[in-house]
Amino acid sequence: MRDDEQPTTEPLDAELVARARSGDESALSALVNRHHAAAYRVALSLVREDDVAQDVVQDAFLKAFRALGGFRGDASFRTWLLTITANEARGSLRKGARRMETALEHAGPLASDDADPAESAMIARDSARAREMLERLPEKQRLSVSLRVDEGLSFREIGEIIGSSEGAARVNYFHGIRRLRELME
Amino acid sequence: MIEHECGSIRELLPDLAAGRGPAGDGGSLHAHLTECADCRAELELVRALFAQRAAAPAGLALHVVAAVRRDGALTTRPWWGLTAAAVAALALGIGIASEPSATARLNVPGYAQETEEGAVWSSEDGLVAGAPLWDDLTDEGLEQLLDELSVGSSGGAA
Repeated sequence: MRDDEQPTTEPLDAELVARARSGDESALSALVNRHHAAAYRVALSLVREDDVAQDVVQDAFLKAFRALGGFRGDASFRTWLLTITANEARGSLRKGARRMETALEHAGPLASDDADPAESAMIARDSARAREMLERLPEKQRLSVSLRVDEGLSFREIGEIIGSSEGAARVNYFHGIRRLRELME
Repeated sequence: MIEHECGSIRELLPDLAAGRGPAGDGGSLHAHLTECADCRAELELVRALFAQRAAAPAGLALHVVAAVRRDGALTTRPWWGLTAAAVAALALGIGIASEPSATARLNVPGYAQETEEGAVWSSEDGLVAGAPLWDDLTDEGLEQLLDELSVGSSGGAA
């Protein structure tokens, strides 16, 4: 089970949002616990700096909760939050023009639960390099690959977050994967 | 025929790599991967990416929750608080609406403009329109006025 995956036995996001709107702080905490890791990865993918990414995540949650009354639920809470996060990250880049190397040492690997040891060893051999190559991709390709692989979002959701159509999100993803394979060879 | 399937299969690889499980027929997916080296290679790349995905720093969630609480973004106000706020807003709105704008004042013709405060002659003050204010009368003016009045009276009586 991923750390931020929504378990079926836990309340759905829509339910937590409704409770948070009425001032239930435990619902607020649950939403933060469930989605902060994904928000962090989106922020880090854009700003490439750990402390800036953490600030972006905090600001994104603040904006989301302040605007929770106007959240209509057309998109899922996660997609909505990640869109706010991406916008905050881009705003942070514009303000500070921060373009630093990604602090990968802050990003500990998370092995999948069901991988056998031999498979894990094989994956670990190329994982760091694959992530390093990912950082070389253009922003939309990088974010599309990250959102599809790390978060499991659909291309429609990715399109909403990167500000493009579903088709463009799909193209960005496959171009990114193809480029990664070229870089890894 | 295998290549024909690759497009739809490759879309599912991230879910397979992450253990999220394919939404469709898992059997056909695995059968395809057994035969298609290109899709297997892509699956290995996607697995490598997923295995090295960033973990959120410890304590980030707590910091965020604390910040949201400090911000009071979700603080609910009692009904009377909302009512008071609504009344205040309404009163402010009425005040703004009743206050003539500078533009409106400029557009009012001279003959229709309000006089300055204190120069308004009102019958409710016991004065007759057109008559001078007592406070503004000098001693000489008062004497002249009394003379006129006595002349008028005497003339009327004559």
